[in-house]
Amino acid sequence: MIGNRSETEATAAVVGLRVAAPRRGRGAALRAPFGLMVPSLALLTVVVFIPMAFALYISLTGLNQYTIGDWLHAPFVGVRHYVDGLAPNGPLTGSLLNSVKASLLFSLLTTAAITPIGVGAALLFNGPLRGRALLRAIMLLPYIIPTFVNAILWRLVFMNGSGVADQILAALHLGSRETFWLIGPNALWALVIADVWAAWPFVYLMALAALQTIPDELYDAATIDGAGRTRAFWNVTLPLIRPTLGLALVLSTINHFNNFTLPFVMFGTSPPEQVNVLPLNIYVNSFITFNFGLGAAMSVVALVVMLTPAVVYLRAARVGDTD
Amino acid sequence: MSNDGLTRRSFLKVAGAGAATVAFPTVLLSCGQSTTTPPSTSGKPKPGSISMFISKDTAHPQEQAQLLDMIKQKFESQFHGSTFTYDTYASADEELTKLETAAAARQGPDIFEFGSTLVPTAYATNAFEVITNDLWDRVGGKKIFFAPQLTMSGPSPDKLIAIPETANPFAFLYNKKLFQDAGISRTPTTWNEFIETAKALTNPAAGQWGVAMAPADGFDPWHKIWLFGIQKGVDLMDKTGKKGLLDSEGVVTACAFWLDWMAKFKIASRQNATFKGADETKAFATGKIGMSVMTGPGGIVSFDKSPVAGQYAYTTGPTVPYGMSSMPSAGKPAQGFVSGQYLTIFKYSKNKDLAMELIKIIVTPEIQYQFFNLRKQQPVVLETFNKYAELKQTPWDAFYQAELKAYPTPFFGSWGQLEVVLGQAINKMAAQVGVSGSYNMDDLRTALKQANQQLQASINS
Repeated sequence: MIGNRSETEATAAVVGLRVAAPRRGRGAALRAPFGLMVPSLALLTVVVFIPMAFALYISLTGLNQYTIGDWLHAPFVGVRHYVDGLAPNGPLTGSLLNSVKASLLFSLLTTAAITPIGVGAALLFNGPLRGRALLRAIMLLPYIIPTFVNAILWRLVFMNGSGVADQILAALHLGSRETFWLIGPNALWALVIADVWAAWPFVYLMALAALQTIPDELYDAATIDGAGRTRAFWNVTLPLIRPTLGLALVLSTINHFNNFTLPFVMFGTSPPEQVNVLPLNIYVNSFITFNFGLGAAMSVVALVVMLTPAVVYLRAARVGDTD
Repeated sequence: MSNDGLTRRSFLKVAGAGAATVAFPTVLLSCGQSTTTPPSTSGKPKPGSISMFISKDTAHPQEQAQLLDMIKQKFESQFHGSTFTYDTYASADEELTKLETAAAARQGPDIFEFGSTLVPTAYATNAFEVITNDLWDRVGGKKIFFAPQLTMSGPSPDKLIAIPETANPFAFLYNKKLFQDAGISRTPTTWNEFIETAKALTNPAAGQWGVAMAPADGFDPWHKIWLFGIQKGVDLMDKTGKKGLLDSEGVVTACAFWLDWMAKFKIASRQNATFKGADETKAFATGKIGMSVMTGPGGIVSFDKSPVAGQYAYTTGPTVPYGMSSMPSAGKPAQGFVSGQYLTIFKYSKNKDLAMELIKIIVTPEIQYQFFNLRKQQPVVLETFNKYAELKQTPWDAFYQAELKAYPTPFFGSWGQLEVVLGQAINKMAAQVGVSGSYNMDDLRTALKQANQQLQASINS
């Protein structure tokens, strides 16, 4: 660059040539990608950005049962809801922080559990196996069962005394018939187990897709170099599926964090504190107690919390970009 | 640098502004455009379509459809050219969501049916028509109704929004056979007697318990704590509705008394810690539960088809607080709170006159009787009790008596929040009892203090 001029302009000036105006065709070509984005961007604006702006606005108002009939004129309360929920001695700090903790624990534990199961299943069904197509389809069953059905099934499994879980544990002398899965500390484990059962096929699918892209030659080469199956897994398989697996785990964590249906159906709207996850807390505050301002503020907090894995996700999504 | 191509920034500006221009009017137009006109006080209404949003009677779905069909036929034959449709909700969550959506969008059914404790919330939304004296006269006047029911129709006599439809009185349910087997000749009248009776009925080895309870239910905790409180003169909120009293010593004691049924007195199974209302009914139907406190008539149909058929009865329950020999001066001999279903007219309805006519049909003694006959619900129109003697016969006589001793819950818009936070505190403590067999009193105080803080934050917002 010389001053404000581009290198081309500078060179042209030196040699005394007139710089040609950009050609019309080139400008149109530059505009084309933006033009193609307009419909999706407009849709995103209407479906995501405007509601998000409204949520942010509502979080600053005292929108409740008294003002819902004229919600555009709900009183402005500033950051009161955030202070109530986040200040060290705020009246709702305990509830909000407990929910953030419950959501993080639930999502991280579930993701940690489904990773080895999903990868293991993918490795198993990637190789030659009789009835592989059928088994692969069966593997997907938990994933395609509607979440509320899954929740009802697991609620029945964990029913105190009469549930299958207690029956089996008692028969194997591993626990009592009164383990209380749906209340108290075990509620978190009940939720994690139910979600692991439903969610592991997601990791399995992603890992399987990644495994199928690995050329056999690499394994042949590893074998010639003397690598066994374990060594080949750590040195060939895992590095090559890692980008896809990383993406799967981030997406999975976000999905679990935002899971509302499973805890809602399993525990109802007065859940044990161990499973009073953030989406459930937001729902109760917004739609059961009509405190929409507080519910919106909690949603904004949830958004901020989820930005961390979202950033990781965006970085992971760029894997393979050449820019 | 000049560039006649579209930059990324200018593109975002244009696209964002364009989308907002399209979206905002759409959003705003959908809200706040409705106007309201009160129903007229005389004259025959023009033909139209009436829609009603009502709770689903899961115990009697076919009978409910039959009753609604009866109402439809009456209405459509009386108002030629008009139609009646209805939609049902199966849960309180659905009921709330519909109320919120309708109030915010100012669009919804012409008539909403609400449970009594949701009427204050509905009133707070200002989305329902105030029933003036002229309008009451159109359905026969306030005098035709069972007076206690009107106490939950609005905050004051000039601000009533809800017309009573049916009552859901609470009575004391007991197993006559278990009482007989244990040599007990009468039901308890004080809570001290109740504990002693329950102990005599309890035999854990045989799976038999003095009482069943449902602390994991969304509603049962506040029902019971409210009952123990009001009998002692203890309020859950102050008279202004601006201050929660959930952490008061009176409420702590009331909660402790209920939890002690499992923890200290051992008259209820620890299994009850996970019970919701339906589980309590199911447990009583096995014939191994001696008593059930503050119970509605909803279980009659299932009891009559269960091992407890012919062995159960309803009566009035204890009123003298635990540890006392007589009612304290501030206490009230409550059997339950004023409960039932109410009909409200949506303020933004375009068929308010027709809606009033439909309600008039619903509160005729003939239709009121069908609520009882088909759905086992107690009518609220006095004439129905005079016309149909069976309404005062066993077991309904107990409900009639109980209804006379029903007291209204405070008419505050934030009552719904109180129900939730108190329920959560009790759920938490019941879980502690379920898992360990006992609870820590300090934990109970902390849970109630947190609940009160949440309630207060909600009231202040």
